[in-house]
Amino acid sequence: MEKETRTTRSIIARTQRLEEMRAALLNMLEDTEEARRDAEAERNKIQTIITNFSDGLLVFNPNGRLDVINPHAEKIFGIQAEDALGLTKEELVRFPTMMASLKILNEKEDVFRREVLIQETFVAELTKIQIRLGRTPMGIMVIFHDITREKEIERLKTEFVSLTAHQLRTPLSAIKWILRALSEGDVGELEAKQKDMLEKAYNSNERMIDLINDLLNVTKIEEGRYLYQPVLSHITDVVNVVVKDYIELAKRKDIVFKVQKPLRKLPRVLIDKEKISLAIQNLIDNAIKYTPRKGTVTVSVVGSSKEVKVSVQDSGMGIPKAQQNRVFGKFFRATNAQTVDTEGSGLGLYLVKNIVEAHDGKVDFISTAQKGTTFTITLPVKEEVGEFLKKF
Amino acid sequence: MAKVLVIEDDTFLRELIVQKLDQGGYDIAEAVDGEEGVKQAKAEKPDIILLDLILPGIDGFEVLRQLKEDETLSSIPVLILSNLGQKEDIEKGMKLGAKGFLIKAHFTPGEIIEKIKSILA
Repeated sequence: MEKETRTTRSIIARTQRLEEMRAALLNMLEDTEEARRDAEAERNKIQTIITNFSDGLLVFNPNGRLDVINPHAEKIFGIQAEDALGLTKEELVRFPTMMASLKILNEKEDVFRREVLIQETFVAELTKIQIRLGRTPMGIMVIFHDITREKEIERLKTEFVSLTAHQLRTPLSAIKWILRALSEGDVGELEAKQKDMLEKAYNSNERMIDLINDLLNVTKIEEGRYLYQPVLSHITDVVNVVVKDYIELAKRKDIVFKVQKPLRKLPRVLIDKEKISLAIQNLIDNAIKYTPRKGTVTVSVVGSSKEVKVSVQDSGMGIPKAQQNRVFGKFFRATNAQTVDTEGSGLGLYLVKNIVEAHDGKVDFISTAQKGTTFTITLPVKEEVGEFLKKF
Repeated sequence: MAKVLVIEDDTFLRELIVQKLDQGGYDIAEAVDGEEGVKQAKAEKPDIILLDLILPGIDGFEVLRQLKEDETLSSIPVLILSNLGQKEDIEKGMKLGAKGFLIKAHFTPGEIIEKIKSILA
């Protein structure tokens, strides 16, 4: 009897422990279930974000296969996810709409907002980012942002400016012709004072014509059809021709105008001579304009087998430090420059930068207030002429 | 005296250039659009043609093409006088057989007459 009672108690105790364990297990199961639901909710959330993302999105896994393509990207490229998922970049070439983008994706570095023409009427900005979890590479994410509308507006604006500039030329020509006819006495002799006035009007009109020419050059740059038949040329020849035009102007301002050329012959550069001349002209023009009487302006040419440099150094007023980062912007004019010359268009250095960059070169400057400024154009010496020409 | 045909739609510019030519002692024929220009060229047989490019109806390039296709007219020198001045325009004009290309805003009537004189000399 005693023994039975002990057995019964032991069974009861074990049952109780078992039940406790069962409760604990159930608890754990519930926790796991909850965690699973949380994870799924999280995944759905991310999935929803990707699906509804207004930019096109591609993700390639570390093996280079397409892992994610969101509906917007499907639409952009006109392809179905099930046809594209799991394919490598090389295999995706079969979709013609993806060609241009894939070419960019083959570059090693990250890409930030690069313009890419996907279809005739569709332009996107492509951003490519290497994604990592901690230090483990997780593949590549590519974002396509639609800028078709912006491009269209830009095109309309450029077209408008170009058309307006051309239209403005007609009345300006008429004014020019009339002023000339008047001052040449075609409709009766004039007094010296009247002639003088007409001459001033004529000069103002000429400035207007120049400004229109600048605007037309800017629109050409923006339409991307600016460079014209680059030819292999000696940069010193180009500099010589430009410099000649400024000797007289410098003399009139008592400016010491020097040219320093290298002793050895430099390699030739592939340039659109007229445009590079225009760039150098702009730099010399500025240097003379913003250098006080009896100052110095030095044009120097140096180079190596890799690049040639043209520098224009002046002892002028300098560019205020706070404004130096805007120097190459369109319509930018430094505050101190405006006091010396009220009529500059603010397009000169913008043109210089665009011309030089269209040649894969660069332009930079060093400037100290009241001491002077040096602008330097650097142009690369190209080996593969063919490669360069392909761009135009 | 040499005869100049002026094909220019802008009345004002046309008058100015005609006036200057008149003073220079030239005979003058005028046309205000492309079609009339070709017609006048055939009728007047000028010694030189001053041709604007942007014209109502057929444009200056087309006029130039028609002039150069016509055996009786192809030898008449054509001087383009236009507000266009892009390299493409200039090249196109020269390729079609123009003798010269003057951008209006860059030349005075006097200089234009000089140019005509030098071509006819």
